[in-house]
This record gives sequence, structure tokens and C-alpha cells, in this order.
Amino acid sequence: MALNANPVPPDDDLPDTELLDCGRSLESVWAVHDAEGPPDPHLLRCPHCATALRELHALDDLVRQARSADEDTAAADPARLTARVMDIVRLELRPGRSLPLGEADEDLWIVEAAAAKSFRAAADAVPGVRAGSCQVLPLTPGAGRVRGPVTVRLEVAAALSWNLQDVAEAVRTAVTSAAVQALGLDVRAVDVAVIDILDDEDAPDGGDRG
Amino acid sequence: MPGDGNHTSGPTPSGPAADPGDELLAARAREGDEGAFETLVHRHGPALLKLAVRILGDTAEAEDAVQEAFVSAWRRLPEYRGEAAFRTWMYRIVTNRCLNQLRSRRPAADLDTVPEPAAPEHEASPARAAESTAAMKALGTALAELSPEQRACWVLRELHNQSYEEIAEAVGITHQAVRGRIFRARRHLTEAMGAWR
Repeated sequence: MALNANPVPPDDDLPDTELLDCGRSLESVWAVHDAEGPPDPHLLRCPHCATALRELHALDDLVRQARSADEDTAAADPARLTARVMDIVRLELRPGRSLPLGEADEDLWIVEAAAAKSFRAAADAVPGVRAGSCQVLPLTPGAGRVRGPVTVRLEVAAALSWNLQDVAEAVRTAVTSAAVQALGLDVRAVDVAVIDILDDEDAPDGGDRG
Repeated sequence: MPGDGNHTSGPTPSGPAADPGDELLAARAREGDEGAFETLVHRHGPALLKLAVRILGDTAEAEDAVQEAFVSAWRRLPEYRGEAAFRTWMYRIVTNRCLNQLRSRRPAADLDTVPEPAAPEHEASPARAAESTAAMKALGTALAELSPEQRACWVLRELHNQSYEEIAEAVGITHQAVRGRIFRARRHLTEAMGAWR
């Protein structure tokens, strides 16, 4: 086939200044096609430019076919890729430090990642709130595996309809209650930072687009 | 929908809300929440796989590359501070990995001047089911003739709608170099496909 006879394009940085027979550069004609350059009335009546544009339109057509072909192949089995990745990830978990659970004389512990997961879930259960970062830290800095109260630092995104103070209070209540009722973790302080806003569909009252 | 007869035009209660956005999930994953990471993999895996198949021209190699890219992202998340969007970050890791893989295929060759031979697996691979038509097959062959960087730039631009800035970051070359690669790639593809027709 003639394909392999095409010289392979060199990889230098600047587009070359290939000129069409009419004097326009191929680059400028393509720029008009890409809507990156100003409209050029010359293009409408020049046969050389028309040929260059026709070739590019033919390629556009192939690009559309390639996109839809890619849709079909990659949609095949996303679950398999996810499973392959997660099989390895689960061998390399990052549980974080151990935090004390229950009473002072008990020897119950929970890892930070698990406690954080519970607190994020509690915050997510507040309507119009989605949790991001959640750090659970010993109240006394530097205390290693020592039994003692902890502090929770939570970042959330909240629906625009929330008042900032109200949402912080609602999240604090949800986290405290999860700490007491679900975990048995002595949480002394819950710092809530609202770092982003959510679209209205997640708003507390079901959104206002009804 | 059946059984939905009492639906009114009033506000609908928000159901179990949608998954959090990428940046919230990435923050969770950074702190060791593997469930959040799994959602991110599920969300972005398919697009990244398409990208890798086009750059590498082989499904099995592409799956390996994307898998390794995600595992590497999991390991690097503790240092990820969200300077780039998670998706942009993943595009960069996957593109890098694919280009490195192509470089290691032909260690002795000068990548920027030597033609990329259409690899034999290219023809036989199931990925090429995507090229069920003769035109798609010809496009695949013409793409394989580009240098790895030209191909990566063109695929990121034309098939993945990435901006020149994003491509420059993903490939690790300047904005101007990206324009040059894409111009060359296009010129080769229009010529090759013109000859093919």
C-alpha cells in the first residue's frame, strides 16, 4: 500500500511554513477551520484553499468515527479495570494512626481512616452537604498511641441555600453524634470548613428547580 | 415511568445525592479512603483507557498502563495538593506512562526521527475491533506512523478535547511544541488518508 511511502513528519517545534499555490499558508487555512484565526473571504473562492479544507473535513469525519468507535470499545468493561486497580490498592492501604475507643481502661482502637470514613458519612447524611478531607487528630499534639480525646477537622462542600453558620453547626452535630453513638470516640472539638458550594440539586429542601 | 402517577410538578426530594465531585473524592482518597479512590477509578478509567489504546495501539498494553497509572496515583496521592484537577493529573500520568512505554520498546532508536513501524500486535489485537471499517483501519495505520509525541498530542486534542495547556502539561513539552506536533500529525493524516481514498 502507498501508505508507508508517506514520509514521517519530523518533530520540530515550529509548524513549517508550507504555502499553498495561492500563497496562503496551510497553517493559516487550518487556523480558520479551527476558528482560531480571523475569517478569510479568500477561502471561499480559492480552489487551493478549498482542497486543503476538504482534506481536513474528510479527516474530521474520520475523527468522529474514531470517537464513536472508542466509545464502543472502552465502554466494554470499566468494572474489570476498576477491579484490577483496587486489587492492588487494597494491598497498600493507608490506615493512618490508631485512635482510642471506649473508656480509659479499655484497649479498643480505631484507625484514623476508618474514623474519618464514619465522620464523612455522617456529614454526607446532612442534606446538601458533601464531605472532603477529614482529619482526626489527638487533642494533645505529639501524643502517639496514647489514650485521650481527639479533635476532628472536616472540610465540606455545601449547597448554596445553606447559611454558613447553620451548615457548620449541622455538620458538627452529625459528627458528634456519630462519634458518641456509632464509634465511642471522645471527640472534644469539630472544626468544620466550608470549602466549596454544591449545585442546587443537592440542596437541603430538594432544590428549587421544581 | 410505571407507578409514577402521583408525580407532581413540585420540588422533588433529592434522592441519595450524587457522588461527590472529583476534588472532594481526591481529598478523601489522599487520606486513605480507598472507596473514594475506587469511585474515581470507575469514573475516569474508561476515558483513560481509550486514550492509552490510541497512543499504544494495543489493548492489553493499554490496560496495563492505565492500571499502573492509577496505582501510581494512589501512591502519590499523599503529595497531591490539587494544583491540577484530578482528571488533568491522571491524563498526565497516563500519557507519561504510555510515552515511556513506547520509548522502551525501541531503546536504540531516535524517537523523533525514526518511523514508528506499525507493530504486529497492532493488527491482531482485539482493540482493533474499533477499526471495523477499512477507513478506521487506515486511520489506525496512519496514526501508528506518527512519532509517539505527535500521536499523543493529536489524540489528546482531537479525541479527548484537551486544551493546548493541558496537552503541554501531559506530554511535558511547551505550548508551541504542542501546536507543532499537532500540525505535523494532521498534515500526515490528511495526506495519508487522501492517498488511501
